[in-house]
Amino acid sequence: MGLGLRTLLVKEVRRFLRVPGQTLASPLVTTTLYFVVFGWSLGSRLADVEGVPYARFIAPGLVALGVVSNAYLNSASSLFVMKLQGTIIDILVAPLSHTEVLTGFVAAAVVRGLLVGGVTWLVAGAFTGIGIAHPLWALVMLVLAAVAFAALGVVTAIWAATFEQVNFFPTFVVTPLTFLGGVFYSVRMLPPGLQRLTMANPVFYLVDGVRYGFLGISDASPLWGLGILAVLAAGSLSLAYALLASGYRLRS
Amino acid sequence: MNGAVVEIEGLRKRYGAVLALDRVDLEVRQGEIFGLLGPNGAGKTTLISIVAGLSRATEGSARVLGKDVVRDYRFTRRAVGLVPQEINFDPFFSVEEALRFQAGYFGVKLTGDRLEEILSALDLTEKRHTNARALSGGMKRRLLIGKALVHDPQVLFLDEPTAGVDVELRQQLWRYVRRLRERGTTVVLTTHYLEEAEELADRVAVIERGRLVLLEDKGTLMARNAGQRLQDIYVALLQRERAGREAE
Ligand SMILES: Nc1ncnc2c1ncn2[C@@H]1O[C@H](COP(=O)(O)OP(=O)(O)OP(=O)(O)O)[C@@H](O)[C@H]1O
Ligand SMILES: [Mg+2]
Repeated sequence: MGLGLRTLLVKEVRRFLRVPGQTLASPLVTTTLYFVVFGWSLGSRLADVEGVPYARFIAPGLVALGVVSNAYLNSASSLFVMKLQGTIIDILVAPLSHTEVLTGFVAAAVVRGLLVGGVTWLVAGAFTGIGIAHPLWALVMLVLAAVAFAALGVVTAIWAATFEQVNFFPTFVVTPLTFLGGVFYSVRMLPPGLQRLTMANPVFYLVDGVRYGFLGISDASPLWGLGILAVLAAGSLSLAYALLASGYRLRS
Repeated sequence: MNGAVVEIEGLRKRYGAVLALDRVDLEVRQGEIFGLLGPNGAGKTTLISIVAGLSRATEGSARVLGKDVVRDYRFTRRAVGLVPQEINFDPFFSVEEALRFQAGYFGVKLTGDRLEEILSALDLTEKRHTNARALSGGMKRRLLIGKALVHDPQVLFLDEPTAGVDVELRQQLWRYVRRLRERGTTVVLTTHYLEEAEELADRVAVIERGRLVLLEDKGTLMARNAGQRLQDIYVALLQRERAGREAE
């Protein structure tokens, strides 16, 4: 890795570490609340799902949600703010290739996503046990998911003219798809019509595949999740690269 | 290359209906201070942006040290330093961090000596650990100048570097610009302070509405208009251009 790319990566990571309250502590608080509610308060009254205590069943989905939303937010907000404040010039005048710029933003976002995912799993582990069924599988899934969403963050940041547009995607697309994607229930608990609808939701395969990695159980074949994420990551990386290379809204 | 550091040929830039640059040809020579003058909206920043890689030409080409700024961008960007007209700063980092990061983007490890030199030339030594947000306007501009120097560029573009900088520091900057030239750095300077161009520039170019209307050795220009200040010559030139356009 060249010094240019390394510098961009280090700078991006340090940037989110400068505001740990926002980037790390806030997801920590949210997850803790989930587990306090579902693990302790309601836990004894909730039935096991597929042989797993409810709090443990929801943990992988919350990890996945934390990973993708933080990966997206990091690249989207960092690049968007640079564009807005004009500091993007620093990078545009430097002898960095489009690949290096994209890699720098995406890699830093993946680091943040995985840190939040790791913290989430540690919190979950405190309530439900820390063991992971297929750690390598879980890691690969989460990295792919983080890459895909970080690249989408880059795309949004380039395109967006307002913060509202940056927030549109997580608020109106990712969060609903995640909540309806089986984080809190198994699709087998749904009536057949809703089951089919869920199967059309790509985030379902993400959650399901990650759950397979952590808990060893899944509703669909975990290979589906892997395949869909790989395609999504490749697609969003290509789109982000094409936008950077075109100069669209960055090199007017 | 005949001593030309920057070669601009038939450069055009269109922003929608606006023709910001209209077939500009010019060369900047090795080691000179090149004054790029022109009224607001003339196309100075546009021209500089294309050479620095911030913007793409609609037509024509720009070369730095003989290499095309698009095709050989890695080479040309290493050779170019840009002080942008608009102040920008990253509120997350200190002066020293900003300088170190900028050097890193260029693949350069900033040595302690070089850092000290830049900080002291720009009178920012006391502020090295200060967050960029907490600098005054003039200090922010000096930080921009420092960032443009970290990779020791062969050509330095200064887009109105002294706007908002106090008199004393302006003169200090002038001295530093001359020192850079003595060391062989080529400097392209845009400014609306004509006395600054008069004081510093070896050659001056004037663009107006995207067209190059004058390019001459400053000494020759001043001699031809003996007794006049550069400011008077410039204003008279623009008035003639306007009158010429109206007559058409
Ligand atoms: N990104 C842009 N989109 C559309 N038009 C632009 C853009 N940048 C510059 N222009 C237009 O191009 C023309 C030249 O602008 P430029 O910034 O190069 O002028 P300038 O000579 O630097 O002026 P000033 O002395 O005010 O800095 C102006 O008409 C300006 O409105
Ligand atoms: Mg300008």
